[in-house]
Amino acid sequence: MTIYCYDGSFAGFITVLACCGESGECPADITRNVPAQRGLFCEVSMVETDWWGYGRFLEKIARVISRHALRNAYHAFLSEDAGIEMAIHRYLSLGLLEGRRLDALLADKRVRPVHKAARKVRNEAHRMKGFVRFREVRHGFFYAALQPDCRIFTLIAPHFCTRFSDQNWVIHDMGRKEAVFHDASRQQWAVAGTDLALEPEYTDREMFYCELWRRYFSEAAIAERHNPALQKHMLPLKYRKYLVEMENGGP
Amino acid sequence: MPGELTLLERLEVLAGGARYDVSCASSGSRRKNGNGIGSASPCGICHSWTSDGRCVSLLKLLMTNACIYDCAYCPNRRSNDLPRTLPAPEEIAELTIGFYRRNYIEGLFLSTGVVRDPDYTMEQLIRSVWLLREAYGFNGYIHLKVVPGADPLLVEEAGRHADRLSVNIELPTRESLMLLAPDKSGEAILHPMRRIADLIRWRRDGRRARTAAPPFAPAGQSTQMIVGATGETDLQIMRLAENLYRTVELKRVYYSSFIPVNEDSRLPCATAPLLSREHRLYQADWLLRFYGFRSHEFLDEQHPQLDPAVDPKCGWALRHLHLFPVEVNRADYETLLRVPGIGVRSARRIVRARRRQHLGLDELPLLGVVMKRARYFITARGKYGGEEYLDGDRLRERLVEKRLTRDGEESQLSLFPAGEPAPGSAVTGEL
Repeated sequence: MTIYCYDGSFAGFITVLACCGESGECPADITRNVPAQRGLFCEVSMVETDWWGYGRFLEKIARVISRHALRNAYHAFLSEDAGIEMAIHRYLSLGLLEGRRLDALLADKRVRPVHKAARKVRNEAHRMKGFVRFREVRHGFFYAALQPDCRIFTLIAPHFCTRFSDQNWVIHDMGRKEAVFHDASRQQWAVAGTDLALEPEYTDREMFYCELWRRYFSEAAIAERHNPALQKHMLPLKYRKYLVEMENGGP
Repeated sequence: MPGELTLLERLEVLAGGARYDVSCASSGSRRKNGNGIGSASPCGICHSWTSDGRCVSLLKLLMTNACIYDCAYCPNRRSNDLPRTLPAPEEIAELTIGFYRRNYIEGLFLSTGVVRDPDYTMEQLIRSVWLLREAYGFNGYIHLKVVPGADPLLVEEAGRHADRLSVNIELPTRESLMLLAPDKSGEAILHPMRRIADLIRWRRDGRRARTAAPPFAPAGQSTQMIVGATGETDLQIMRLAENLYRTVELKRVYYSSFIPVNEDSRLPCATAPLLSREHRLYQADWLLRFYGFRSHEFLDEQHPQLDPAVDPKCGWALRHLHLFPVEVNRADYETLLRVPGIGVRSARRIVRARRRQHLGLDELPLLGVVMKRARYFITARGKYGGEEYLDGDRLRERLVEKRLTRDGEESQLSLFPAGEPAPGSAVTGEL
């Protein structure tokens, strides 16, 4: 039995699956970090990302199972849930036997966890399309801080790219310390590891718009229908930290 | 009109005046960004939720809160003593773009009081929207109110720029309209609705014939009515809604529980809004639009009101127990949809999953079926879901939604069941 370690990227993970597929071996575990505790009879194998193997395996999944299954596997991977790697391994192994019927096995215990995780990621990505708050900083671009549970950058970046194509913007994942950068002149985006050295300095116009927005936000609520429980259900506290209208607890 | 209000104050006044407009949907339109700014996402995006639990998707504003009408229920009516303001269209456009660039909103919802006459007001509305689309290259979502009585040509012009148009039907019957909004006639409201419907159909057919029909209100039209200000029954309301859906191509009817903002002898005395009634009406509305029900199936002269204790689908099922239980492995999609506890998503999942496996009771919750209600109405592999067959009354007792607060009063039903956060989906109609 072998525990496989990969570099944390999707390509690295798929390389592991491709290796296992070739040797026909079932891994004991697949992790991004070398496990502190390991089973007595387990050996640990570090897998280098193999881009050729990665491409071939993706193509195989799309051909034998479906593009849909590939999409589910990728989205589930982005959830970064504990044990999701093995769940995806079981899902795709079943898929290679079942073919395109895989995603109809909705109640199967190898399919469901992956569908569930993928849905969680898509839901959060959808929410984040609403919760990003761009703030104009003095250096001539728009900056937004976020702290999502899942690694959703690759899912939301294209949306903001088309929407704000004429704007230079940065969306910063505070938890993972990485950011998407968009360059308006080249109409391209890229992800890079980033940390804040200083608090960003906002423009005066930015402060004015924040004030306008806060006033609008408190004015839009109907006092007779006051229902903070519903508000909390729709807008969980964990997402409020970087919302302009919710600073200092919000109205 | 006094011009001393600052921008902040004007925003407050105009946002406060528009807050009672219910619609905030930003779905149903797919606008691509060309050279300007913005795009419209077909499933709609919510950006925040206010302290009343309603979502903020669009910047909801009045173009002006000045009004020549005197409708009994309206905070902006002529006889109320308020600061009135009419900002320049440039100001509205700039504010919208400023908010949009910061990703506060999906677009603009522009309503208005009526100044001078309907045509003039409509022209001003169109000017604001034209400015956004043409001068600022704005491709976000725009919901525009149509003023009853405005010229059909102006309605057509509005639909060229807006994603969604809406004419408020205000109240469920002409008599109520006469009583509370004597300045508006039923005909003046219905006429533009029909006109919009014709143009939407014409555009749809034009697209089908592959001619280059210019876009017209791609997200359709909606309307809203106040419930509880006058004595109409749920039966009357749902019949009206059903008719509107059938005849004028409505995407949505919004029901807004009456909130007393004015002292007026024609209005019922001050009460808290009846949110549970509003909630039941929305559930019934969903049955019409997504579940293949007709209004006469769950409401008739003997039962003119929706049952406050159980949802309308449960109510219908309890009166038609002879149709149940249904076998989930064999029943067709339409039948599954009629089972309490099975929704559009879970019905689709059942149909998909049973092609591959014979479903048992244990698998159903995994597919999203709410077994608490569904179990009494289904069998799976021939096995009945409930512990025992119950007669109508005892079954009803089990299905009553018990949500009593400590002092015994009915508490607010939440619009969305706790659990899975549901992002917007145009298919299941969550927005």
